[in-house]
Amino acid sequence: MSTTLKEPQNTPALPREIIRGSMSARKKARGNRGGRSLLAKGEPMLWLTGGGLVVAVVMIIALLTLVIIQGAVTFWPKPVVQFTLKDNTIYMGEVTRDDTYKPEPGVLNSLPADVQADIAANEGWAHRELVRTGNFDLTNTHFHWVEDFNSQGQTLPKWATVIERNSWGRFYGMPKSFLIDGKVVADTPQAAWAEYIKYHDEVRERWHERRGLEKHDIGRESRKVDHARLEMKSALLEHGKDSAEYREAQANYDAIEAQVNVAYARIREEINALNAENDRYQLVMETAQGQEKQLGLAEIVRAYPANQLGLGGKISLYLSRWWEFLSDEPREANSEGGVFPAIFGTVAMTLIMSVLVVPFGVLASLYLREYAKAGPMISAVRIAINNLAGVPSIVFGVFGLGFFCYVVGGTIDEVFFKASLPNPTFGTGGLLWAALTLALLTLPVVIVSTEEALAAVPGSMREGSYGCGASKWQTIRRIVLPRAMPGVMTGAILAMARGAGEVAPLMLVGAVKLAPELPIDGVYPFLHAQRSFMHLGFHVYDLGFQSQNAEAAKPMVFTTTLLLICIVAFLNLFAIWLRARLRRKFVSSQF
Amino acid sequence: MSKFRSIVAAVCAVVLMAAPAFAQVSVDPNLPDYTPVSGVVGNIKSVGSDTMNNMMTLWAEGFKTMYPNVQVEIEGKGSSTAPPSLISATSNFGPMSRATKSKEDDAFEKRFGYKPTQLPTSIDMLAVYVNKDNPIEGLSFPQVDAIFSKSRKLGMASSIDKWGQAGLTGAWANAPISLYGRNSASGTYGYFKKHALGKGDYRDSVKEQPGSSAVVQGVASDKYGIGYSGIGYKTADVKAIALSKEEGGKLIPATPEYAYTGDYPLSRFLWLTVNYKPGSQLEPLRKEFIKYIFSKQGQMDVVKDGYYPITAQIAKKALASVNIHD
Repeated sequence: MSTTLKEPQNTPALPREIIRGSMSARKKARGNRGGRSLLAKGEPMLWLTGGGLVVAVVMIIALLTLVIIQGAVTFWPKPVVQFTLKDNTIYMGEVTRDDTYKPEPGVLNSLPADVQADIAANEGWAHRELVRTGNFDLTNTHFHWVEDFNSQGQTLPKWATVIERNSWGRFYGMPKSFLIDGKVVADTPQAAWAEYIKYHDEVRERWHERRGLEKHDIGRESRKVDHARLEMKSALLEHGKDSAEYREAQANYDAIEAQVNVAYARIREEINALNAENDRYQLVMETAQGQEKQLGLAEIVRAYPANQLGLGGKISLYLSRWWEFLSDEPREANSEGGVFPAIFGTVAMTLIMSVLVVPFGVLASLYLREYAKAGPMISAVRIAINNLAGVPSIVFGVFGLGFFCYVVGGTIDEVFFKASLPNPTFGTGGLLWAALTLALLTLPVVIVSTEEALAAVPGSMREGSYGCGASKWQTIRRIVLPRAMPGVMTGAILAMARGAGEVAPLMLVGAVKLAPELPIDGVYPFLHAQRSFMHLGFHVYDLGFQSQNAEAAKPMVFTTTLLLICIVAFLNLFAIWLRARLRRKFVSSQF
Repeated sequence: MSKFRSIVAAVCAVVLMAAPAFAQVSVDPNLPDYTPVSGVVGNIKSVGSDTMNNMMTLWAEGFKTMYPNVQVEIEGKGSSTAPPSLISATSNFGPMSRATKSKEDDAFEKRFGYKPTQLPTSIDMLAVYVNKDNPIEGLSFPQVDAIFSKSRKLGMASSIDKWGQAGLTGAWANAPISLYGRNSASGTYGYFKKHALGKGDYRDSVKEQPGSSAVVQGVASDKYGIGYSGIGYKTADVKAIALSKEEGGKLIPATPEYAYTGDYPLSRFLWLTVNYKPGSQLEPLRKEFIKYIFSKQGQMDVVKDGYYPITAQIAKKALASVNIHD
């Protein structure tokens, strides 16, 4: 694998010339040697090898195109269509996909004769559309199929509005009126919408302020209590129930709890004041079926009258959705909102893994190549390492869970975190264990490519260095390693690429469905290596196979995949850029 | 089932709540409102059922809005993973879509000296799904057994391999039935086996899926597919068929009212398993989380996830079983 990534100066420059090798020359040759066999002329092999390349390229392009197209259209706003069925049922929502199918005989026979004739004329095929109707709190479903033969027609209501909410998924309806303090201040769609525009930003600002209070201020206070409680428990475990230390810790705990309770009350008051202010503003919506629903403005993430949007409005909505996706936390069991914790977890885990794996891999291969004497032992080690690269990744996951989480982590908990048992601290999956497991998984990649790079350093350079009186380590440090650095970086890049895309072992050692707490934050000790984390690869799996609202989650699968591909590509590009920089540095310092 | 029936029978009068139309499932108004208290911190680690995965996430999200500094980690790989994690103390909540087996109880008791406590958190109907275009109305348990099981414990003479044998005509008569199911770690797998297959063995041709949603998506994209999964995962692309216990019995559709009366043959509780030492007090984190689940807000999350909420009476009993009385 590493040969494909070797720097251009090492690979012979010939093949391209041969391929180009001007067609006219070959045509001439064909004319001259008409008697030779087809195979001997080499043309079939050219076509075969070229064809192999073309197939590979086409597959890659097709995959990327599929992911990019499907992933990019997810956030583009669609019009809201209102269908009236023949039995006067009304569905309003966004058309998500359509389908041509053959209705079952039972269904067909129940239709009027003219419809039956229409379908028969179409060779039995009929058309239907899947409409995202939302309003789960009122109807208990998210989607409906609408068959063309069942529909009287469709319209685009001018005031059909899509509302993305904090909970319950999307809402489709028409603005009816706007209430402030329970009094109607606007009673036409237009006026209600104007009021919504006027107040929504400030309400959401208060909502964010409230969330900040909940997250940071309350968090700070609860940590104080938690700390005191753990101290009390440690004292109990260490000194027993009747000791002076325990009584002191208990008194301290009581004091802190009382103090914190006062703080809580104050923060709660602030939160309640913000909530009360926000609750004054209510938007009353009317669904297409005529049901009324009152929505608090604070609950509304985003709303837009879909059928009135111009191109500019659509683009700004599209970008704002992308921004939310990249920067926000997930909502609604991961089917809405953003994936920021997952992006963060993926990048943090990959970087920690690289930091762990590269030094170890380089040290191991230095010993193998520079110090060890060739012999059956070293061959056996080398074979074992090469085979390690072929072990299925889930095996590493099982090892990580059994060894890192349960044995190492369990021991750490017993020794250092006794007070919080039975709740595990390190004795369960977490960022550190995931990074270590992946480091093990990618270790062979680094060792093999580093060894190759070391072997490529000519022996004469080493001998020259020894001749000048340098010691073994000095030679390695000053002569061999700088020359081998690009190869080492290539190994690191490959390891990162493999590690960032790996999901199976992570499911065992720390990647979870929901962990909005970032593993690195502003709270001492800043890096919380024991925390579980979210991972984009696992997020894709979760959206695709675990989501309750599977239909709505499907487009998100593609979007998340697109994001994962971009992040892996970005990490690789960064490493390649680093390698190029290093190479320049060492080349210039060599002569 | 018997446990479910006995509890349900005791409260079904209250449950029916005289609601004429069940288009919208509603939460029992007698459930307590949850009010946050102080001093709740720590880690919620939940390992267990995949069926309840989303619900646990919703509860955790709701709980976190009140206690922002509680850390939440949720894993859902199957009910069978819940007891071992509780025993090894790698989790503090074990959502399960079935009751614990006596073997699991024993292993737990060996470690702690008492049995794990299970709280009924919500009601699920295990639905049998077919593709939306499938004209079939319903199936009896013996038929389901003959479709899914190779042992046919419920007494059908021959296995059902084609839709024609299940009563469909026309183009469907010769269409082979394609089977979707869950993996063996799943509580849904065990529950379905016990109640719909008479503890018989699954056929080898059942395509075992890693998640409930995967079963539904499999059936959605396979015209001749049939599979089983929790009602919360229903989409517009599949149809939940009616079931009857005996051959020729009354077909009961998978709608909420039949879940509450206990008539629907595959309705079950979704349990939350906790390590509770009888007679003791739970520490604040677990106590408050459990209180939250059995409050109006927590049961609203149940509705949000497509399952059915429990009644105030069941909630009270569940809370009492872990010594929460206020």
